[in-house]
Amino acid sequence: MVDFIQTTIDGLSIGSAYSLIALGFTLVFGVMRRINLSYGPSIMLGAFAGTWIFVTLDAQPWLVAAVTVAGTVAVGVYVERVCFWAIRRDAAIASMVSSFVIWMQLEEVATILLPGRTYPFPELFRTGGVEIGPYFFRMEYVTTLTVAILVLVMLRLLLFKTRFGLALRAVSENPAAAAYMGIRPGRVIFRAFVLASLIGGIAGYLLLAADQQVTPYFGLWATFKGLIAMMLGGMGSIPGAVVGGLILGVIESQTQWYLGNAYKDLSSYLVLFMVLVLRPGGLLGQGIAEREAQAFRRI
Amino acid sequence: MAFYFGLLQTIGIHTLLGLSAYVLLLTGQLSLAQVGFFAIGAYVSGILTVIFEYHIVPGLFAGALAGGAFAFLVGFPALRVKGLMLVVATIAFSEIVRLFFFNLNWRVMVNGVEVGPDSTQGFREIRFYAANGWDTFDVVLFIWLFVIVVMAMLWWLDRVRAGATLRAVGADELAAQSSGVNIVAVKVTAMTVGGVIAGLAGGLYAHSATYVDHLTFSVLLATFAVAYPILGGLSSVFGTLIAVIFVQGILIEGMRFLGDWRNILFGLLIIVAMNFRPSGLLDGNVLSRIRRMIGHGKPDGGGRHA
Repeated sequence: MVDFIQTTIDGLSIGSAYSLIALGFTLVFGVMRRINLSYGPSIMLGAFAGTWIFVTLDAQPWLVAAVTVAGTVAVGVYVERVCFWAIRRDAAIASMVSSFVIWMQLEEVATILLPGRTYPFPELFRTGGVEIGPYFFRMEYVTTLTVAILVLVMLRLLLFKTRFGLALRAVSENPAAAAYMGIRPGRVIFRAFVLASLIGGIAGYLLLAADQQVTPYFGLWATFKGLIAMMLGGMGSIPGAVVGGLILGVIESQTQWYLGNAYKDLSSYLVLFMVLVLRPGGLLGQGIAEREAQAFRRI
Repeated sequence: MAFYFGLLQTIGIHTLLGLSAYVLLLTGQLSLAQVGFFAIGAYVSGILTVIFEYHIVPGLFAGALAGGAFAFLVGFPALRVKGLMLVVATIAFSEIVRLFFFNLNWRVMVNGVEVGPDSTQGFREIRFYAANGWDTFDVVLFIWLFVIVVMAMLWWLDRVRAGATLRAVGADELAAQSSGVNIVAVKVTAMTVGGVIAGLAGGLYAHSATYVDHLTFSVLLATFAVAYPILGGLSSVFGTLIAVIFVQGILIEGMRFLGDWRNILFGLLIIVAMNFRPSGLLDGNVLSRIRRMIGHGKPDGGGRHA
C-alpha cells in the first residue's frame, strides 16, 4: 500500500507537468480547432537555448529558466506565423502537415546549434527532499507541483477575470460571432499561441530540470505526452487537460513500478486508444457531439 | 548505377506506402496507422523468410495478409472516430505496434546462425535477395512489379462503381449514407485494402533494407505516408507517385549537397507547395489538361475533385 501511494504521488507530480503541456495544446486547439504538432519541438528548442547559455556561459539556473521560456515563446511565434497565420481558412490538414515539417526543421536547428546528443540541464534547487511519514517527496517534484498549481491559478484568473480571457473564450466558442463583436480573432489567436508557448516553456523547464538533461528527442516526447493528456481529458477543455495529464502521470508511474519500464509507454497508448474509441470526446469532453462535428468540419 | 537502383527501390516502396494512405484518404479518413501495418508486414514476412526459410513470395503475401487482418480488426473501433481523433487514435495504434516490436525477442538457430528479431537490437540479416543471388536490378524489377500491379488495380478501381462509392463517402458522408451506401462497410474495406498494401510495402522494405528496427516505423514515416497523397493530390493514383518522386528524388536526394541545411529547406519547400497547390500537385485541372493533350479530354474538362 505504501508503494502504491508513493508511486501515485510521483505520478501526480510528473503528471502536473504533463497537464501544463496539455494546456498549451488545448489553448491552441480551443481557439483554432487545429493541432500544433511543433509545440513539443519548440519547447525543445527553447530548452536548447537554455542549456546553450548554461554550457557556454555557466549561467545561473533561474537565468536558464528565463532563457528557456523566452526561447520557447520566440520559436512559438515563428511556428504561428509560418504554419498557422500563413495558412488560414479551411486548410486545417495543410497546417497540420506544415507544423510537422517545421518540427523537422526545429530538430535540425537544435542539432546544428549543439551537435552532441545529450546536454546537461541545471536543476532549480540542490537535490533533496521532504519526508512525511513513510513517504518521500523529491524536491524537484515538489517544485513541479507548486509551479503547476500556480500556473493553473493564474491561467484561471486570466481567462475569467480579464478582457483578453473573455475575448479568448469568445473566439473559442465561435470565431465568426466574436469577430462581429469587434474582437480580432487573428490577434487573439496570436496571443493564445504566445500564452501556450509560455506555459509550454515553463513545463519544459520543470520536466528537464527533474531529468537534468536534454536531448533533441524531447520535442517528440513532449508533443506525444501533451497530445495524449489532452485527448484523455477531452479536446479543448481546460479541466480536461489537467485531469488528463494527472491520469497519464499516474498510469505511467504505476505500470513502470508494477510491470517494468518496457510497458510504460505501451500502457499509455493502449489507454489512449481505448478512451478515444469508447468515449471519443475524452473523459471530461463537454458538448462532445458538437465539438466533434466542428472539428470534423474543419479538418 | 547502384545508387539509382537504390533510389528506385525507395521510390517504389514509398509509393506503395503512399497508396495505402491514398485509399483511406479517398474515403476522407486521415490515418497514421499505415506505418503500423507496414511494420507488421515487414516483421511477418521477415520472420517467415528468415526463421522458417520460406520463399519471398509467400512471405510477402503473408505479410500483406497480416497487415490487412490487423487493419480489418482496427478498422471497426478506430473508424468510430473522425478527423483529429482518428489521427491520434491511429498514431496510438502505430506506436503500440512499434513498442510491441521494440520488445519482441525471438532468436532461433537456423543453419548454425542465430537469427530473428532481437528486441532493441532490431531484426538483422533479412538476406533473402543476397542468399538467392538476386542483384539490385532484379530487386528493382520485383518491387516495381508490385507497384505497377497495385497502381493498375487502384486506377481500375476509379473506373468502376466501387471507386465512386469510396469517393462519395469521402465527399459527403451524410449524402452517401442517404443514397444507401453502407458507410461502415466502405470504411472498413478501405482500411483493409490500405492495410494489405502497407503490409506488402513493409515486406518489400524489410527485404531490400535487410535490417529493420523499431525506429524505422516512427510517426515520421506515418506522416510521410499521408503527406505523399496529400501533396500529390487525390484526383489520380499518379499524384502519389509524382509526390514520392518529388520528395524522395528531388527534395531528399537532389539536395544532399546542402548537408545539414537540407531538412530546413525541405520543410519550407513542402509548405510552399501546400500553399500554392492546396489540393495537390496533380489536381483535377492539371489532370484534365493532360487528358486533353493526349486527346482523351472530355469537353467539360472531366476533372474530378477530391
